[in-house]
Amino acid sequence: MFALIKLIQSLFGALHSEGTPGQLAAGIVLGSFLGLTPLFNLHNALIFAALVLLNVSFAGGLLGWALFVPVGFLLDPLFDWIGHSLLLAPSLRGLWTSLYNTPIIPLTNFNNTVVLGSLVFALLAAVPLFFVIRWAVVRYRATVGERVRQSRFYRAVMASKVYNVYKMFRP
Amino acid sequence: MKIKIFRWRAIGPLLVLFVIAGVLWWLFADTIARHESQKVGTQMLGARVEINNLHLDIANGKVLMRGLTIASPHEAFKNLLQADEIVADLDVVPLTEKKIIINRIAANGLRFGTPRQTDGRVAAKSGEGIAGRVLAETRAWASQFQIPVLQLATGKISIDSLDPRRLSTIPAATALSARADSARRAWQAAFDSLRLGQTLDSASAALERLRHARATDLATLNEARQELDRLKRARDRVTSLERGVKTGVAELQGGLAGLDSARRRDYAFARSLLKLPSFDAPEIGAALFAPGAIKPFERVLYYAQLARRYMPPGLLPRATTGPGRLRRAGEDVRFPKEHALPAFLLRSAELSFLLHPTSEQPQQYAGRLTGLTSDPALYGRPTDFRASGPQFGAGALVNHVRSIPVDTAGATVGGIRLPAFEIPGVPLRLDPGAATTQLGFTLNGDTIQARFAIRSTNVRWTRDSGGGFTNTTIGDLIWRTVSGISNLDVEARISGALHHPDLAVRSNLDQAIASRLRAVLGEQVAAAEKQVRDRVDALIKDKVGPVRARVNEVLTQAQAQVAQQRARLDDLQTQLEQRLRELTRIRLP
Repeated sequence: MFALIKLIQSLFGALHSEGTPGQLAAGIVLGSFLGLTPLFNLHNALIFAALVLLNVSFAGGLLGWALFVPVGFLLDPLFDWIGHSLLLAPSLRGLWTSLYNTPIIPLTNFNNTVVLGSLVFALLAAVPLFFVIRWAVVRYRATVGERVRQSRFYRAVMASKVYNVYKMFRP
Repeated sequence: MKIKIFRWRAIGPLLVLFVIAGVLWWLFADTIARHESQKVGTQMLGARVEINNLHLDIANGKVLMRGLTIASPHEAFKNLLQADEIVADLDVVPLTEKKIIINRIAANGLRFGTPRQTDGRVAAKSGEGIAGRVLAETRAWASQFQIPVLQLATGKISIDSLDPRRLSTIPAATALSARADSARRAWQAAFDSLRLGQTLDSASAALERLRHARATDLATLNEARQELDRLKRARDRVTSLERGVKTGVAELQGGLAGLDSARRRDYAFARSLLKLPSFDAPEIGAALFAPGAIKPFERVLYYAQLARRYMPPGLLPRATTGPGRLRRAGEDVRFPKEHALPAFLLRSAELSFLLHPTSEQPQQYAGRLTGLTSDPALYGRPTDFRASGPQFGAGALVNHVRSIPVDTAGATVGGIRLPAFEIPGVPLRLDPGAATTQLGFTLNGDTIQARFAIRSTNVRWTRDSGGGFTNTTIGDLIWRTVSGISNLDVEARISGALHHPDLAVRSNLDQAIASRLRAVLGEQVAAAEKQVRDRVDALIKDKVGPVRARVNEVLTQAQAQVAQQRARLDDLQTQLEQRLRELTRIRLP
């Protein structure tokens, strides 16, 4: 329940933040990398660093992460298949062999079918996802955004921050 | 408004975060490495791997492991080995390529076959991963040796239960009869299609005309020549038919021979219903000791097959099950490259271990392992293991350098106390005492040659109350036969193609038991066997006799018909040729 409230908070926080739709969309796209690919991998450290260092919505990043984790679990068989096809493609064997025998690169676990498959999927999905989210945020803010901000539901959800602060400091 | 791309002020917190992550890694590296080693080891071997303490000293390239326990993949409450302390010297630079190169390992206080409190088998229970698949394969391999337990006839011998529908001779006879009829019809049709009657009549008429013709009667001569050609063509067709008939005759004669084979099978089947004992010494040896003798082969084959999966020959990409995690594990694909380092290499290991660890004076031994690698083609030398000591010698060579892998292993252990075991099918329990065991194993490509032997001079026999012949004459007989024997010499051999090898088991008890059984049960068994044969003959006689006669009749008829027509053709051809020669002979004045 708490996680759900946090997710809804993140969603509204991001949608009603001062960031531009592009910043929010870029944050969600970077967060989708964290959610779609297995978390504890070297490339995700780079993604996280980008999320922090680039002027994109950090809240959007967390939202994207939270939203795409279940998608990642759901699409794991597809990622496995993509990774398997790529890693065992005879035409790419030379590339993978070079990468596998290069320092540092193997630490990214690129040679795992799910890691490579999910990363390739996330990369391919990034651009369309960015434009779809940016369009959706623009439409949201132009249509129902202000009404939501004035609603009691919105106030109730955002007010639960008090509870968060209490949780942070409780013994 | 221009939007900034970078959030420069976030660099500080990010660096702090990475520093915290580094500190956490430094604090928990040993624990993480211990957990990962346990996880990977368990996954690879198919049995629980436990490490009490592991310390990483990356700066000096050292790993110290204490309290290593590897459970047996085959036995629930037994360890494969335990080690007090293992020290490894690592090459640090290859770690950046995720390659583990160990220059030297010193392992002290190794112990084998120690008991454990919990079931340490993993692959046997889950059946997952490479180890699970290999275990299932080797179990299936071992199960192909269906060794019947020693079966002994008891009570009145009767074959009233023999069901004629289960005899193979009767359906074989029915099928042969149908084939004979079919062949007869086919031959008759082929014979009719030759239209020999027309040809023969025409040729006879031409011959008659030729007899009254003169040398100048060119039309008659030409007509005779044409008839001669027709006769020759008809003769060719008969020759062709004759070849077909000969083939069919051979097939039908094969069918008749098949009836005899089917009858022999039926004798064997009917005999099996009686559970008559075999008096052949090799069969008795197999029945007594094969179930126990197959286990060592199965276990060595398991490790050999694991080695083939984890140390495959060649340089092609290799996929193995990925790391266990909440997400799908997927597969890790390795890409070995010529002149590069292998993913794993243990150059040399010095082993010091104890045998008979629970005895008052445990004996210490030493061994050496070299060249254990995941990519033998890159390392270029086989994996070699040797260990020796008093009453002990062991060695293994895992050669996967070339395309056809060759795995050999051998061990001789003397004075080792083997556990007592029940002999299947008979009410006996055998305690081999302090025995000498030998194992030889070679797996060359897909050809296996293996030998397992146990020798003991002080075996003890116990009469088991749970056997099927506990209080029977047979049980008494076997007990009296073996209870006085104190020497045991068992040898099992496996040879041939791996998927279907031959198993031979012999022991010094075989002949003794066989001769005693023959002396007591021989006459009874011989009479029963005759009764079996008579009963089978009576059941199949009515079917087989007419079929045999029918087949012979068809064969005779077909052969006679062909021969008769061929003779007529030959006769007419000869007469025509002779008359033509007479008419066309040039007479000089």
